[in-house]
Amino acid sequence: MAVKPKPSDVWPSDRRPRRAFGRDHVRVARESFTFISQRLGATLLVWVLIGIALALPTALYLTERNLAAVAGEWQENLGFSIYFQPGVAAEAPAALARRLRREPDVDRARLITPEQALLEFRRHAAISDALDLLDDNPLPATIRVAVAADVPAARLTLLADHARRSEGVDEVAVERAWLERLATIREVVDRIYQVAAVLLGIGAVLVSSASVRLAIEARLDELQVLALVGASKRFMRRPFLYLGVIYGVCGALVAAMLVSMALIWLEAPLTRLFGSYGRGLELVRFDPTMFLALLASGTLLGWLGARIASDQRLRELAV
Amino acid sequence: MDGIEFRRVVKHFDSGVEALRDVSVTIAAGTMTFLSGHSGAGKSTFLRLVLGLETATRGQVLVNGCDIGRLAPRHLPRYRQHLGVVLQDHRLLAHRSVFDNVALPLRVAGMKERDAGRRVRAALSSVELLDKERLLPRHLSAGERQRVGIARAVVNRPKVLLADEPTGNLDPALSRSVMGLFRQFHDIGTTVIVASHDAQLLATMGVRIVELAKGRVVGDTAAAVDTAAEA
Repeated sequence: MAVKPKPSDVWPSDRRPRRAFGRDHVRVARESFTFISQRLGATLLVWVLIGIALALPTALYLTERNLAAVAGEWQENLGFSIYFQPGVAAEAPAALARRLRREPDVDRARLITPEQALLEFRRHAAISDALDLLDDNPLPATIRVAVAADVPAARLTLLADHARRSEGVDEVAVERAWLERLATIREVVDRIYQVAAVLLGIGAVLVSSASVRLAIEARLDELQVLALVGASKRFMRRPFLYLGVIYGVCGALVAAMLVSMALIWLEAPLTRLFGSYGRGLELVRFDPTMFLALLASGTLLGWLGARIASDQRLRELAV
Repeated sequence: MDGIEFRRVVKHFDSGVEALRDVSVTIAAGTMTFLSGHSGAGKSTFLRLVLGLETATRGQVLVNGCDIGRLAPRHLPRYRQHLGVVLQDHRLLAHRSVFDNVALPLRVAGMKERDAGRRVRAALSSVELLDKERLLPRHLSAGERQRVGIARAVVNRPKVLLADEPTGNLDPALSRSVMGLFRQFHDIGTTVIVASHDAQLLATMGVRIVELAKGRVVGDTAAAVDTAAEA
């Protein structure tokens, strides 16, 4: 098969100046910012639309991370509580606490006597005055058992079952059920995050694509002239790719702002909620890696939308 | 050979229109040629084939000995950078100044801004519009807009200058002035091909005229001159 000719076969002097590529990028970047500054209203709307599309999966991701942090913190306090029958002799709870402390998997076994429980109850409960009306202390002795975080569920259940069979024990409450529920919630949030990321990512691409398409239509006459004077598709596409990337990056910044504002707004009630469980709260926020990942996602989605729109329109370009 | 050669070129469009039928023409490099004929004769198709905007259904379009129809689509833009094009409707960008309109081919070619500025001013000077470089096209007359179009076509010092009905909207005096500009570029060695249906104007220019009718070459003054010489 014969070799296809090249432009240099037709025009032997054909040479592209060195550094033309870099010069073109600088010029296109400058022109893109000018283009955007001349249409700031419409551009802001695009940024907000892309920002909202990116904010929701980002918020879900942060929710999942926060749930993971909470689960991790609770995992550290993994164990069970042993409630004794009211009026049981003081020696039985003390003996069980001593026995549990000897178990290798048990970190701590803290005995709370009925008297200590009553004191604590008086300190926290609003109805403490009502307790004075009672003849006897109604609160049972309790042992709070904390096990190591790596103790398997089966071992924890075995320890709890042994405790349940001990003298005077009324009930044993294992906290693992809570953790298992939390893990399920985390999994649900994680899956919603994945679905939202895909759907809203497509949404962001479509917003970028539609906006770039409008920009292309506004400059159609210029593209036709460029094609006539020998501009390559890559050259004609470049300003629109810049536009898409600017839309995506600024959309990601809007998303970061929206999510940060939501975190600030939610922090106070969440702190109160965790405080009511006797726990502090340290929210997982944007770290530099997460922020860069959001910016990269915005850049990629904006670029992709612009690429789809420009490829499609340039293919149909009639000169 | 250097120049443009159509070898038995046929061009059919999907609409069923047969724009060119078995056209064979040779245009030597550095010459000036007019394509004449009524509307629909095939003049614009002829120019679009040279530009690589269309490909021949049959036959070959050779530029400097290379078959343009065999250039890969990705190579066509680079090929086109060496051609200058002037159209009847100017195709000037309304929102860009005269300077920016003329500079467009140089930006495509990747020229430095400073060098491009010099070239643009030289081109504008050659069409006597140097004092209007900052104006927008809407502030120019029809003749001035056409001259800006010519400046844009020649700014990159093309090897071949193609003009499709460049005097279509101009009065006779302006038309002669525009044709004078084409002659100037021909005088410095550019191959010039002008398509026009204005037979009267072409007759006054004293250059080769290839006449097309219904897609066929029906007259060629160069052939007539050759025949006369042989006789």
